[in-house]
This record gives sequence, C-alpha cells and structure tokens, in this order.
Amino acid sequence: MAIRAHDAVADRSGVVPVGSAEVRPRRKSLTLRREGQLAYALLTPTFLVVLFMVGYPFCSAIYMSLQDKMVGAPGHWVGMANYAELFRDEVFLRTAWNSVVYTVVAVALKFVFGLTMALILDQERRFNNFFRALLFVPWAVPVVIVSLNWRWIFDDLSGFLNNFLITFHLSNSIISWLSDPALAMGCVIAVVVWAGTPLYSMTFLAGLQAIPRELYEAAEIDGASVIQQFFYVTVPRLRTIFLTTVMLSTIWTATNLQFVFVLTRGGPASRTEIFPHLAFMTALGARRLGMGAAVSLVFFPVLVVLIVLLTRRMLRPSDD
Amino acid sequence: MRSVSGTRRALKWIGNGLLVVMLVWTLVPFYWMIATSLKKDKEIYGFEATLIPRQPTLSNYTRLFGTTPFVKYLRNSTIIALGNTLASLLCACLGAYALARLRFPGRGLIARGLVVSYLVPPSLLFIPLFAVLATLSLIDTHQGLILTYLGFSVPFCTWLLMGYFRTVPLELEEAALVDGCSRLGTLVRIILPMSLPALAVVAFFSFTQSWNEFLYANVFVNSVEVRTITTGLTLFIVEDVFFWGPMMGAAFLSSLPPVLLYLVFQRWVVKGLTLGGVKG
Repeated sequence: MAIRAHDAVADRSGVVPVGSAEVRPRRKSLTLRREGQLAYALLTPTFLVVLFMVGYPFCSAIYMSLQDKMVGAPGHWVGMANYAELFRDEVFLRTAWNSVVYTVVAVALKFVFGLTMALILDQERRFNNFFRALLFVPWAVPVVIVSLNWRWIFDDLSGFLNNFLITFHLSNSIISWLSDPALAMGCVIAVVVWAGTPLYSMTFLAGLQAIPRELYEAAEIDGASVIQQFFYVTVPRLRTIFLTTVMLSTIWTATNLQFVFVLTRGGPASRTEIFPHLAFMTALGARRLGMGAAVSLVFFPVLVVLIVLLTRRMLRPSDD
Repeated sequence: MRSVSGTRRALKWIGNGLLVVMLVWTLVPFYWMIATSLKKDKEIYGFEATLIPRQPTLSNYTRLFGTTPFVKYLRNSTIIALGNTLASLLCACLGAYALARLRFPGRGLIARGLVVSYLVPPSLLFIPLFAVLATLSLIDTHQGLILTYLGFSVPFCTWLLMGYFRTVPLELEEAALVDGCSRLGTLVRIILPMSLPALAVVAFFSFTQSWNEFLYANVFVNSVEVRTITTGLTLFIVEDVFFWGPMMGAAFLSSLPPVLLYLVFQRWVVKGLTLGGVKG
C-alpha cells in the first residue's frame, strides 16, 4: 500500500515523464537514487547509535566471553573455558534454576493479576478513570525506588509488614522476610509482580475496549454464559496481545537485575541469585569481565527465540 | 437470560471487592513511603515504631536538602534525561521519516534491525559498553550516559514514530511536494505538526526511561558530580545502616517527575504501549 503511494509521489515530483520509453526508467531511477541517498543520510545518526551502543557491544560481549579478561588487564583467548567452568559451578546451576523459577512465576502472576485488573476496570463503574490512573501508577515509579520502598516494608525490626502483623496480633514473632531462605524468593517475586502488573493490565484493557459490544450481545442471545463469553469472545480477541505482552515482559523480567540488586543481593546463600545479577557481580564484584560476559550470554539463546518472534510481530503492519 | 444478568450482578460485586483489594495492594507501599518520610527517627525505628506518624515533621526533608547531595543527583538526572530526550527525538524524527516515507534498498532490513536492537537487553551490553566508554574517556561524564541511553531510546522512539508517520495522510505531502516543497520541508511543515501527540509520547518515554535507568548509571559513573538519582539513592545506605527517613523522602520526591508526567500523558502512554500489541 505504502509503496504504491510512493510511486505516485515519485512520478509527480520527478521531471514530467514525457518522451520515449528508454528515457523513462533512467529518470525514475535517478529520483529513486536521490531518495535513497536522502534516506541513508537521515538514518545515519540512528545507525551510528545502534552500531556503537548495541551492535558493537553485543559482538564484543560474545568475543569477551571467550577470553579470560579482567578489569584493567588485557585478556587471552580461552575458547569455551568460561562456559565449561560455569556448568561445573554449583552457584551457576542454582542461578539457572532460580532464573527460570523467578521468570516463569513472575510472568504468570503478572498475567493473571493483569488480566483480572483489566477485566475489573472494563466493568462499568463511576470514577473508573480515577481508579485506573491510581492502579497504573507503580508502572511509572523507577524500579530502584520500588525496590527500596519494599525493602523497607520487609525490614525485620521496623518494616511495615512486621509492624502491621504484630500490632494486629497476626503474628507474635518477627519474620525475616528477605533473609529467610524459604521466603526470600517469594518476596522478590511479589515486588516484581507489584511493579509489573500495570503494564499487563494497560495493554489488556486497551484490547478489551477494542472488542465490539455487539459480539457479546450476539453471544448472549445465542445463550452463551458469562464464562463461555469470556472463553469464546474475549480470549480469542486478545490472543495476539497476550502473546506480545508475555514475550516482551519475559525479556524484561528475566534480564532486570534491579529488584534483586536492591532487595537481597542474591542472598541468602544464592537463593535469589539470577543471571543478570550474577553477571554484574562476576564482572564488577570479582572483576572478571570475560566470565561476566559469559554469564550474561548463557541465557541469550532463549532470548533470541523471543526476539525473533517479537520482531516479526512488531513489524507486521509494515511492508518488509 | 435471567441467569446471565444475575451472574453479571454477582460479577459486578466481585469486581468491586477485588478493586478494593487491588487498590490497597497498590497504594499501601506509597502510604508507607510517604508516612516514613514524615516521621521522626523515634517513630521509625525500635519499639515505639508507629504505623501512622503521630507527630508529622518535615525534618527528613530539611536533612535531605541540607546534608546530602540529593539536589546534585536531581540536577544530574534532569540534565541526562533532557539531553537524552532531545537527542533521541532528533534521531528518531529523521530516521522514522526515512523509514515511513522514502524508498530505498534495505528498508525492511533496517526496520527489523531497529526492533531487534531495542529488544537486546542492557544487561547483555553493559560489560562491553564499559570498555567502549573507557576508550572514549566518557566514564563519569553526562555525555557518556546520554550516549549509552540513546542505545535503547533511539530504536524504540524511531519504531514508534515510524508507525505514527505512516498514519499521516499522503495526499497532504504530495500536494506540498507538487507546490515545490522539499522532502525535509514536508517533514518539518506537515508531518511533525500533525504528529504532536506522538512526539509527546516519544519524549515522555525517553525522559522517563533515562530518569529511571539504573544499571548503566551504576556501572559508568562513580563521582557525585555525575551520579543520577537512582544510583544516588542506594548510597543512602552507609555501611549497612539505612537512613530510612530521608531515603523515603528522596524516593517520594524523585518518583514525582515520572509519575506526574504519566498522569498528564496517560491516554497517549497507553496508546504508545499497546501499538505493538494492538496493531499486530
């Protein structure tokens, strides 16, 4: 569609196409070439940014992961030795398991809560816009601040949670939320869900509101129950949005180190250690840049699948 | 029929109940943040800790402005977020125009490359980027952070604007071209004025993304003179001792810019966020 429209512009803006058939294609290709030059010129800043801030660092990360580079020292080629070492390391294996649990549980909960929130906000109610604005605020707050705030809520001696539980006699001893090996991961996930649910409900709500009411009316006349309407009208209509949101959110959830960095630092005893935080600690705590790069890349094959699928989805309305 | 409307009424009440639960779950952390920032230390810690401040005071805020580099952090975050917003708007407008309106070989490939580079997470890139910035002697500079932030804001903004530019009717542009307007002229005089809401969304996203960014700011900056608010806040912890009063005050104040911007741009933000999903 877009391309055909462009042809029209090119024909009109170029020299009026009179003359023989041999002249025409040359003229056209001249305008085309000018258009191409202009396009490349306009794209140069973007291209440079992507090249130096994403493309080169990414390739460099792969190269570095094959070296034993330390901070401030040149590295030597070690081949797959970093990766081999990782898979023998107990902390790494625990981290891999943690990362999977953390990502899957957090994404699943965000999905369920996000959908519930969207369905509730889609009901008719007074002041709905106001409630929606309030419920989405966590999305706008910087993740570091969210995490600090929750760390203070979980605080052993004076935090809100213990304070509240003891004041109302719901518990008579102090619970060490973030340093109890059995509770720490659950607490971190709770914070991730608190901060991440609004994104889901925003996209789901937009999808819900785009569904024509007539579809529900028709289903109701056909005798479909409310639950049937949900599964046969709502869910199929939202399928694309579900997929896109879950894939995007999986990438961002799995690679965000801020929650763990502020809440637990991976502790207690690596119970909440996940890949991005381990990579950070290896590269900047232990100063092993090569190894850190290897840690951050181990997860990448999974991400590649998501990135490829998402790219296709995000560009669908355009021409390729 | 009757049973359906009965279920609807029940659902409405369940909905209202869940709404209250969700509001509490969402708002309690904010309450605790603000309440803490208004308490005296005596009410914050130990046996006399309270759930509601008994003698509200602004002393945490005076401490924050008087004895900590909070104002410097705010200044740095503002410089970096604004610098990033301007630079990414410029790059994105030009690039998106080329991708939306011009014909050239490799267009599809470049569009795809942009989306891919937006999806590559910063946690994969920060280690080599550290080396890149060190070679350019941009460690510990505002410019260094602005440049690295462009890495995620430019692809996103370009992709978003590309979608909007496509929706501007071609006829207007054709008319201008026939009247002798240049290609760039049509961008400045026709497309940009018609895309003001989109530009606002893009500016909003790059501003808040830079304001909220933590990983790069933590790795590429060491000095107080450049440190941003997100990394500065974590330094209120000194030797494992937290100063929760001033810290919650700082947390509250530094959440305000992105939250207020979000409240202003709400409708457009949702549109921007869902463009990928709704269009696909």
